[in-house]
Amino acid sequence: MNKIWAVARHEFLTNLKRPSFIIATIAVPLVGALALGVGGLFGGQVEEYLEELFTGKGAVVAYVDHSGLFTPPLPAYADTYILYEDEAAAKAALLADEIGSYMVIPEEYLQSGKIMAYSKSSSFFSSAISTSKENVQGFFTDHLLAGQVDPTLQARVVDPVQLTPVALDEQGEPTTSGPMAFVSTFVVPYLLAILLMITIFTSSGFLLQGVGEEKENRVIEILLSSLSTTQLLAGKILGLGALGLTQVLVWLGAGMALLSGAVAIFALSGLLVISASTVILGLIYFLLGYLLFATMMASAGALGSTAREGQQISGIFSFLSAVPFMFGNFIMMQPNAALAKVLSFFPLTAPITMMMRLALTAIPPLEVAISLVLLILGILGILWAGGKLFRLGLLMYGKRPSVAEMWRALRQA
Amino acid sequence: MNVLAIETHDLTKQFNGLTAVDHLDLAVRQGEIFGFLGPNGAGKTTTIRMLMDIIRPDSGRIHIFGQPLAPQTLDRIGYLPEERGLYRKIKTVDCLAYLAVLKGMPRRIARERALALLERVDLADSADKKVETMSRGMQQKAQFVATLVHDPELLILDEPFHGLDPLNTELLKEMVLELHEQGKTIIFSTHQMNQVEALCDRILLIDHGRAVLYGPLQEIKERYAPHAVQFRGEAIPADLPGAQRLEQQEEGIVAYLADGVTPPAFLRQLVESGAAITHYEVVTPPLEDIFIEVVERERQR
Repeated sequence: MNKIWAVARHEFLTNLKRPSFIIATIAVPLVGALALGVGGLFGGQVEEYLEELFTGKGAVVAYVDHSGLFTPPLPAYADTYILYEDEAAAKAALLADEIGSYMVIPEEYLQSGKIMAYSKSSSFFSSAISTSKENVQGFFTDHLLAGQVDPTLQARVVDPVQLTPVALDEQGEPTTSGPMAFVSTFVVPYLLAILLMITIFTSSGFLLQGVGEEKENRVIEILLSSLSTTQLLAGKILGLGALGLTQVLVWLGAGMALLSGAVAIFALSGLLVISASTVILGLIYFLLGYLLFATMMASAGALGSTAREGQQISGIFSFLSAVPFMFGNFIMMQPNAALAKVLSFFPLTAPITMMMRLALTAIPPLEVAISLVLLILGILGILWAGGKLFRLGLLMYGKRPSVAEMWRALRQA
Repeated sequence: MNVLAIETHDLTKQFNGLTAVDHLDLAVRQGEIFGFLGPNGAGKTTTIRMLMDIIRPDSGRIHIFGQPLAPQTLDRIGYLPEERGLYRKIKTVDCLAYLAVLKGMPRRIARERALALLERVDLADSADKKVETMSRGMQQKAQFVATLVHDPELLILDEPFHGLDPLNTELLKEMVLELHEQGKTIIFSTHQMNQVEALCDRILLIDHGRAVLYGPLQEIKERYAPHAVQFRGEAIPADLPGAQRLEQQEEGIVAYLADGVTPPAFLRQLVESGAAITHYEVVTPPLEDIFIEVVERERQR
């Protein structure tokens, strides 16, 4: 145990002093702060632009009216809807880039409801949004009903649903309040999952590099004559895990500071509300997940004859860790579907899948228990096999062990 | 003190069907300097790695200080591998202290001892510098120190003087002898036969993983002695019946004795014949000659 601690301490301290580590740790919050600063300066404009780009709001819609139902436009729409005399005029304006698109309302509109919308092929996407059904529906409804029905009813027909989503906990109490809390249910699981990925990549990068160096400068021979491969592996994983966690904590701290800055600058309201059990379980999965991947990475790293080859082998495992992200949408939409359950039982995908699901849904305790047991069994298995392959790989200079050699190493007591 | 420092029995290790170590029996007594010799690829490094629990034998057993190989016993051994290397990017003293801590020594004591030993090998100035700033010879000395910091009872030194200048070789040899006086057991693996002759009590010569020569150095040399004496003096008669053949060499005359004639009897004969002998010794072949002879004979078999 003392030796594991000694290795962990050594790995932590020497890698803490690496320039690449210091730069990466400082650079990320700096970039964040810079982005925030730029956002603060141009905040309003950027927001407007994005809204315009993705919702089509604020864009001017041109139209030609053959039915007479929309001439002249109601005062409420006078700013955003421009009436053209005929199609030729509208087309000329479109080609001259004065407008992005125009609609043609035919004579028999009331019977058919058919509308043609024209835009230039070069700007088809944004124009298609500005003349999408959702965006122009209100304009049509308002004009059709103006003066025909009670204004209150007309307002409801135009905008029938004002939806506020409320999630209830087991006791039937609302758990979320305000739009920020709703966002947090999507942001938090992704954030946790991404943090796990970052920790895995930075720490395992150092692990690979360290093992490669020890192989290259032959210190490995002295190390292996002093302690077991399991101790060495465990010490490295602990030390570099602590290092990765330190980096994540620095980033989180900076992120919190930036977030409060953002709240002040953009006047965002609401708080991120996460339950304690989610945080604790999230942390458990975070640690177990790191343990699992770091062990695999280290063994893979030791098997490569050079640091580069080690990195290539470990790339396979980086890829595996990203699999739940591919099903990310699916897991978020249906966090209790069979696929999500399978992914949370399979040790390689469990940590990240569970982190996503945890924040979205109440997972039955039995499922959590099964997933944790399988994950721990998986870690023990990988530690056992990894330790052996690690040992085999470490003593091979200049060549990679064959599959047969790996198999023999695994069978050896 | 009768416990053997190292004892192996029937030690065997194969790599891909090739036998690297073949039923090796070996006993190293406590407090001796033991020469572990063999041509390249004879199985020396494999044997040492098995002793250090870096690789596991296929069969056979290893006892160190009378105990089966265990992590605690490894802490009592200092190992200088033939493939040298230290952490390059950290301070020399930190590197040495870390390696000693891994052998179970408390950190503070490890640092103190590392500093003292660095001073002993004239590297005090490099203690706070990065390992990579030292020259090759200096790193070599630092590496030697690294095997001593945790105060081991048994030292396994693989080619300790390789690549060192005569001055530094002498310094390290002196330290080895000091350690010997302190009662440490030293296993000394090398190709440099003159070093073996100067330092070792007993030797083991292996080839193809098998022991081909094993025992006290003096005994071995006598066993391979050509039954000859070398002498210098005045008024030496031309005809000496006890000798089959005489050879004039730079250091004197070498006489190959006839069967049944012992060196003392031949000396008596010389003196009685009126020769004034100033120097007389039994010829023992250099270990290098024995090494070559034994290995070649084994290979012809």
